[in-house]
Amino acid sequence: MEGRADYVVKRTLFALLTVFVAVTINFLLFRALPGDAVSGLRCQHCTIQFKAALRHDLGLDKSKWEQYKIYLKQLAHGNLGLSDVSHEPVRGLLWDPLKNTLLMLTLGTVFSIIFGLLTGVVAAWRRGTWVDKGSLWTSLAFYSMPTQWLGLMIVYFVADRIGLPHGGIQSPDLGILGNPSTYDYWKDRLEHMILPALTLGLVLYGEYTLIVRSAMLETLGEDYVLTARAKGLSNFAIVRKHGLRNAMLPIVTLIALSLGFIVGGAITVEYVFDYPGIGLAIVDAIDKRDYTFLQGAFLLLTISVILFNFLADLLYFKLDPRVTT
Amino acid sequence: MSREPILSVEDLHVWFDLSGGSELHAVQGVSFDLRPGERMGLVGESGCGKTTTILAMMGLLPSSASVAGSVSLDGENIMARGEDTVSPHRWKDIAMVFQGAMNAFNPVKTIGSQIVEPMELHGTATGKAARGQTRELLELVGISGDRVNNYPHEFSGGMRQRAAIALALACEPRVLLADEPTTALDVMVQAQILELLVRLTRDLGLSMILVTHDLPVVAQVCDRAAVMYAGEIVEMGAMSTIYHDPRHPYTRMLFGATPDLLGDADVISIPGAPPRLDREIVGCPFAPRCDSAFAPCATVAPRRMETSPGHEAVCHLNDHVVAKEPA
Repeated sequence: MEGRADYVVKRTLFALLTVFVAVTINFLLFRALPGDAVSGLRCQHCTIQFKAALRHDLGLDKSKWEQYKIYLKQLAHGNLGLSDVSHEPVRGLLWDPLKNTLLMLTLGTVFSIIFGLLTGVVAAWRRGTWVDKGSLWTSLAFYSMPTQWLGLMIVYFVADRIGLPHGGIQSPDLGILGNPSTYDYWKDRLEHMILPALTLGLVLYGEYTLIVRSAMLETLGEDYVLTARAKGLSNFAIVRKHGLRNAMLPIVTLIALSLGFIVGGAITVEYVFDYPGIGLAIVDAIDKRDYTFLQGAFLLLTISVILFNFLADLLYFKLDPRVTT
Repeated sequence: MSREPILSVEDLHVWFDLSGGSELHAVQGVSFDLRPGERMGLVGESGCGKTTTILAMMGLLPSSASVAGSVSLDGENIMARGEDTVSPHRWKDIAMVFQGAMNAFNPVKTIGSQIVEPMELHGTATGKAARGQTRELLELVGISGDRVNNYPHEFSGGMRQRAAIALALACEPRVLLADEPTTALDVMVQAQILELLVRLTRDLGLSMILVTHDLPVVAQVCDRAAVMYAGEIVEMGAMSTIYHDPRHPYTRMLFGATPDLLGDADVISIPGAPPRLDREIVGCPFAPRCDSAFAPCATVAPRRMETSPGHEAVCHLNDHVVAKEPA
């Protein structure tokens, strides 16, 4: 059992090490790009002298190693630097889009995990019936749809019909007549969140249903399931007591992996729905060459991937007593 | 052996649907009786239908299989209304020890909880009593009771097989169906497990059907043997009779294919392969591999003949025996 406690410590250390490596690569990546925040400046008084002074102010004239040390030191204080465009702290600039993205993502993924699990389990349990075939084709269809295309279709065909906004995060008329109540404010937020979340949720739903179905089918073919049937357990009891937990093992890993990437992968959805999340902020920053902001955003995305993997490791550990290394 | 059979299988047939729309006739009219306290061996090579037979008896075949015939427990046909009539008897009256019991346990649950499960399901014991019984069962098969909370991966292969036997005994069944219980184990452990099975069936008064491809194992453990070939029982009788006086060439050749301890007799393998079961078999299914085949074998299916009381075989060589067909 000692190996089990070691496992958690090992995983934690490993996650921290990965973060450190990611931070370093993130730093190098932006320094490897030709030019810097100053070289793109074009104006009448942007003389070479002016640029040199600016570089000095920004610390860009120091050696890369020196810059790296400063970067790490600042990072340790939670300082992600100042935006190259608005000169505001990146940390603050990231916060709002992150909050928006996370809320929308949570809505979408909770939807997809719940329905994906349900459909996948039922499909595997009722293998070969019309329920199975129907859900298989539906999920395959959603899974194969490009997210942005599905988003466009939803904007085009669905939004008006059910009276939900096409995009943005807040109705322009909200708060025109005085401050809106908390209820009105969140209701409006939620309405703007539903369609992007649904788009994302449907694609993920397809993916998760397929994963759950195949994991469940594999589990139901195991010898211990035959044992359980021989013991006299009903099919439902077998799925619940013996199937689910074993089938969850591969599912947890795959869901965690896809969740990690989705924080960044919501870019297309946010773009289609003009939803001011991290994705849109990144697109915006790329347009404006706001390297410092991008560096902070990328760091955030990397950490979210690592975090979700770490969570998957812990969950795996909880689910499977065999895990010790 | 005059007592009423506890379990009686009559004219059992199993067909599997194949993808091409054809059918595979895996079990072709198997009938036998099992008496209280009796240990019967079901022998045959891979694919002869022995495992399918016992899975069919428990109603555990996949939905691609169709089953005909009857399986009676104390005279009651438990296959009469499918799942409804079988499931109450599962584990409570008829329990199984599975082939490759290495995987018979769910890897994410403790051994103990998996033994308690059928007890609580069938109401034979609950809560503390069930946990107490589980410890006793483990002790009975030679595992320390302190290991109830271990997971399957913490057991060795032999221990897992013992635990599988303890699991089978959880609801005090009367019939034990053991499907290749020793196949994956080394010879030493194999001997211990067989000894354990013999001791338990004797002490607890259990009847057992031992399914194996290993004839010496049957000879060591069983009172009676049924030899299966191509989905059919081709010879059945008391172990000693079958050993000393096999009336089907397949049985004789099976014994011939077994290495003996001193190694002075050559091991003679049986040439050829069993017939395909997805098409009609004309004549005797064993004829193409038989060393004693003669004129009628290729065209006329042999009848089941009782060559001596309690000993029957399906072979033309017995046609001269003026005996009645078993009822």
